[in-house]
Amino acid sequence: MKKTKKLLVVLVALVMVLTVVLSACKVHVCGHKCPICGDCTDPECKDPVCADKCEGHDATYLPIADHRAYAKAELESVKTNIGSISTAIDAKVQAAYEAGIAAIGAASTVKDVQKAFSDAKNAMANEIPLANGVKSFKAASYDVKAQILGKLEQYAVNNGITGITLFENGGYVMYNDRITLGTENYILGYGFGVLSEGRITKDLDSEQTTAWKRYYHTYNPVNPGTANYLDGDDSTVSDFYGYIAGSYYTNFMNAEKDGYDWVPELALRDPEPVGGLSESGQSAKWRFEIRTDLKYSTLGKHKDQFDGLTVQPEDFLTPYKLMFNQANGLFRGGESVNQSGAQYIVGSKEYYEATKDAQKGVDETVDFSKVGVKVYEENGKWYFEYQLGEAVTAFYARYYIASNLYQPIPVSFINAIGGIDNYLGFNENKSDTPVDNSLSLGAYVLERWDDGQVVYKKNPNYVYASSKYQIEGVHINILPAASTDRLAGFREFEAGKIDSSGIPQEKVAELANDPRTRTTMGDFCFKLNVNALSAETWEYMFGTNGVIKQTPKDQYWNVKPLMNNQHFLQGLSFATNRKEFAESKGSIASANFFSSNYLSNPELGTSYNTTEAHKNALSGIVNEDTDEYGYSVELARDYFRMALDEVEAAGLMTPGTKEKPTVIELTCVFYYASFEETMFKPVKQYWEDAFNHDSVSGGKYKLELKFLAPSTTDMAYDMMMEGQFDIGFGGITGNPMDPLDFFDTLSSTPSVSSGWTLNWGCDTANANSDIIVYNGERWSFDALQQAGTTTVVVKDGNIDGSVVLIDAADQTVTASGEDLNVTLVVEYNKEFGVGNVELSDLVLFGGTDDYKAWSLIGGETPILTATVSDDGNGKLTVTFTLPAAEIAKVPESDNQGVDVYVSFVAGGIECEELVSFYIFEKTE
Amino acid sequence: MWKYVLKRVLLALLTAFIILSLTFVLIKLLPVKKHMGRAPERAAYYSEQIRLGYIYSKDAPEEGSDPVDIVVFDDGTRIYYYQMPVLSQYFSWIENIVLHWDWGVSKTIEPNVKATVIIGGRLLTSMKINIISVIVSVPIGIALGIWAALKKNTMVDHIISTAVMVLISLPGFVLITFLLLLLCYNTPLLPTQWPQPTDPTSQKVLGYIIPVTCLSLGSICGYCRFVRAELCDVLASDYLLLARTKGLTKRQAVMRHALRNAMVPIFPSILAEFIGIMGGSMVLEKLYGITGIGSLFVDAIGSEDYNILFVDMAIFTTIGLLAGVLLDLSYGFIDPRIRMGAKK
Repeated sequence: MKKTKKLLVVLVALVMVLTVVLSACKVHVCGHKCPICGDCTDPECKDPVCADKCEGHDATYLPIADHRAYAKAELESVKTNIGSISTAIDAKVQAAYEAGIAAIGAASTVKDVQKAFSDAKNAMANEIPLANGVKSFKAASYDVKAQILGKLEQYAVNNGITGITLFENGGYVMYNDRITLGTENYILGYGFGVLSEGRITKDLDSEQTTAWKRYYHTYNPVNPGTANYLDGDDSTVSDFYGYIAGSYYTNFMNAEKDGYDWVPELALRDPEPVGGLSESGQSAKWRFEIRTDLKYSTLGKHKDQFDGLTVQPEDFLTPYKLMFNQANGLFRGGESVNQSGAQYIVGSKEYYEATKDAQKGVDETVDFSKVGVKVYEENGKWYFEYQLGEAVTAFYARYYIASNLYQPIPVSFINAIGGIDNYLGFNENKSDTPVDNSLSLGAYVLERWDDGQVVYKKNPNYVYASSKYQIEGVHINILPAASTDRLAGFREFEAGKIDSSGIPQEKVAELANDPRTRTTMGDFCFKLNVNALSAETWEYMFGTNGVIKQTPKDQYWNVKPLMNNQHFLQGLSFATNRKEFAESKGSIASANFFSSNYLSNPELGTSYNTTEAHKNALSGIVNEDTDEYGYSVELARDYFRMALDEVEAAGLMTPGTKEKPTVIELTCVFYYASFEETMFKPVKQYWEDAFNHDSVSGGKYKLELKFLAPSTTDMAYDMMMEGQFDIGFGGITGNPMDPLDFFDTLSSTPSVSSGWTLNWGCDTANANSDIIVYNGERWSFDALQQAGTTTVVVKDGNIDGSVVLIDAADQTVTASGEDLNVTLVVEYNKEFGVGNVELSDLVLFGGTDDYKAWSLIGGETPILTATVSDDGNGKLTVTFTLPAAEIAKVPESDNQGVDVYVSFVAGGIECEELVSFYIFEKTE
Repeated sequence: MWKYVLKRVLLALLTAFIILSLTFVLIKLLPVKKHMGRAPERAAYYSEQIRLGYIYSKDAPEEGSDPVDIVVFDDGTRIYYYQMPVLSQYFSWIENIVLHWDWGVSKTIEPNVKATVIIGGRLLTSMKINIISVIVSVPIGIALGIWAALKKNTMVDHIISTAVMVLISLPGFVLITFLLLLLCYNTPLLPTQWPQPTDPTSQKVLGYIIPVTCLSLGSICGYCRFVRAELCDVLASDYLLLARTKGLTKRQAVMRHALRNAMVPIFPSILAEFIGIMGGSMVLEKLYGITGIGSLFVDAIGSEDYNILFVDMAIFTTIGLLAGVLLDLSYGFIDPRIRMGAKK
């Protein structure tokens, strides 16, 4: 017993001594322990504990097991996105996937994990056939288009080219309590129906003019000085013009007050296809019956002559003749003739070129007959017919012609006001105002135009004057202070001078629950655009021989390797507390690329953001691990750790020390210096706090965001469009009725994006840059986006403009006053599935000032019959005899002959093309 | 004398011409604004620029010069846009002015309206406000200055001098914002904006209070300080002491001798103030919604409405230079001892 006691005492004493000794000494704990072998990874550490150095395994900020887990999850996601193609392919993809999972599981370093993931992804991709042939989904259903858009969006998110969305511009708006809104629930793409369905129940006391007390009072920071939207390139002119302009079709709230309907306004009925619809339900040529009882309204000095004047059928053509006349120099005309696809009016470009030296206004000496708009009478009804550059469905046929730019106008009015330069604006001496120089067919008519106010009065001649737009007028107060002071408008509202105003951010908490407050949805998402290019891709796009812009060596952008890392970009996205950010601004938090008003089904008013396709696409940045707007600082830090491991493993970056960290400086380009406080600093704080946290790199790396506001907005955009930035604030708006079409702005190919791209991350023209699988085939982003909106030739997954589907050699012959026998050989590409080739039209043309063109085989009484023979092996022979009498009718010019049009089917798509010019020179 | 005046006027006009030419060339040397948007929109914008003679287009890149922009259409066609040589634009501009007295029309501020008409209209608005403010500020400023000088180092002088120091230090935008909040929004006594032509006369009259107060306060302080300093100097001079010893009362000495001499440097400054009435106040006009001349120059630069800019420059340069001549001549009228153009 005694012995035991002694032993216990000795043991206790020993433990106490050991405790004292151990607590007195600092024991080295290895901070750079390899997760694989457990040895020290820091070559500079001299502590005996760290004597055994790791030789084969790299250092990790994130445990290698986590790397493996993330890689496996991503590979799983790739497989899910590929989906099911066919039993055979699915099995191969599955095998590649399983091999990949095994390889990732066996990988002992970050580099190995990356390689295993990349190899597996490529192996899976290689099992999927690349898209080939003529492709088009433009006539597909809205659901199909939403799926295509989802695939494209997923690719864009994965490659960082959607940028990082911050918030949507909707928010809180207050209305004066004298206003009864059309609906209490905001309707996407329509609003509250304030003017169209709303009412005003009380006078506005602060209004000094008695007649205007029941007018709707609003404000604008600038006076545009004109309402001529035909020549306007900004939205302010469009807004001022919109009150007085009518369009063929308009929107009104539906009976349920939860959406809107399309209704004819200047048209009498919906458009109908001319010559019937194709199998895909499309047509390029449409017509609709026009109203013959429309009356112009004006309160200006030409009131006696034009107020109440009935609109004549030829007036419907005048806006086209004005816009497409190059001599008038109207902005919207120049824009319209350069459009492509369904936004183009056939023949307008040629007319525009022919009117370079024409007389201003309407020049009737220039032939307008080849322009694809005409008005004619048939069985006592008047029709307006139009031909678009591309076949469209009935919905888009109405949508593309519904612009108020085409409001009819009598030529006599243009003459009466002294010419087109004065139309809808002031004359040179300012003696005539827009009130004098405008005619209205819209809901309102211009009543007064001063420097400080613009006033509209209800138009009694408006088509729906008895049922819609019951508010007596609109008064726009010009409030220059609002351009620099964001509280100016709200103060005017509080002072009872205007009827509505957005709530500034400092008042949101106080007024969000005020009974006068309403919440609106946004029509624009503010984003942080990213330059996620690798140095090689930047060189390819913007280097000295760049395909987009050629930049001298000394002006090369210092591309940051981390910005090219997908996980780093995801980390930035996760680190952005959008909810807090948006709430502080009284706006709507959003992680979506599109704002809510982009509709995947415009006929039903379905927002694309509500579709499954979108939710899947966004699952990488908004999921169960984040809040509803994709915020999770822990996830952000994990992704930053992963990104740092990856760039180090790739040898792209080397760590610093806690005392002297490697600094990653990101240049953030903003339009205005004032954005530094409101937009930049919160983001800087989110990102730097998340990245620079000790748990990410232990202080070896430091993220620093640098604010840059060039002296003009254009310079900021230039920097973004030319890859001279890391992060750039801004965004682009597009056609909310067709988000798939708008997605071309993410393309890195200028001819696809129309040169309007702000985010860079990969070569979107290359099908191998990432996997997009649709319809069982692998596509490049460009190819699938273009196939979704138009018809495109695809080779090995990429757009191939060099493939000729159908062609015929141009010929030049001499016509000597006799009939001409013509033989043309049209060659078609059978390899790309071209078939059903038919001659669709022969058009005889000629003349310069007296240009004329007419169909030889179309119309009620064809002039000739052409013989067509198809050898079935890619050759179509067309023979016809051109009568001397017809040749004689062709006005003399340098360029005269026959245009040969051919229709064909390629890859199941119906196409029509001009294949040759048969040119003849006339001799006496 | 007349020969001297003619020489000065001609020199002023020559200087104005040089200044305007330099302004034109320097502004045109600025990078041409690149239009943002899709290819059709940009092509439309550049078509207008070509029509105006500012740029030209090419189908292929031009050796040795950087294009303003390259527009790539959907079919892959590229159009290269280049800036027209500045001198070619300059001679065309001069030709229009000399041969046709055509200063061009506005492109963005009030499209199609002659630049001279726009400036004429706005000048009138700014001048009305500024003339009233001069009428208000000169007598008040001088009276306060005299009072402070006569009561030098008394409580009155201290109060006036302190108030002057405080008010003269207040930036214009602070003052107008304060007045707007105080008199328009918190207590709705005055219009929140410059009245419209359709408003009743009473509103129009009340509309002058804020801008005139803002413009006058600075001038009142300036005059007050200037008059006080000059008068204090004169009051301490020997000849005034002599006048008092000759038996003149203080009032007589001040009115007949002190004030008259103190006014010699003050009157030209009043004249300079009148010249200043041509130019409005940018801040005041923006914040109170006055469509005057003050903000036009900046708006014209911002929106690249160069025709407006050049007319604006021409008017103010010419007025400024001619005013300098007039100011020099005025010294001769105020102080007969000064002779202009006299030979040694």
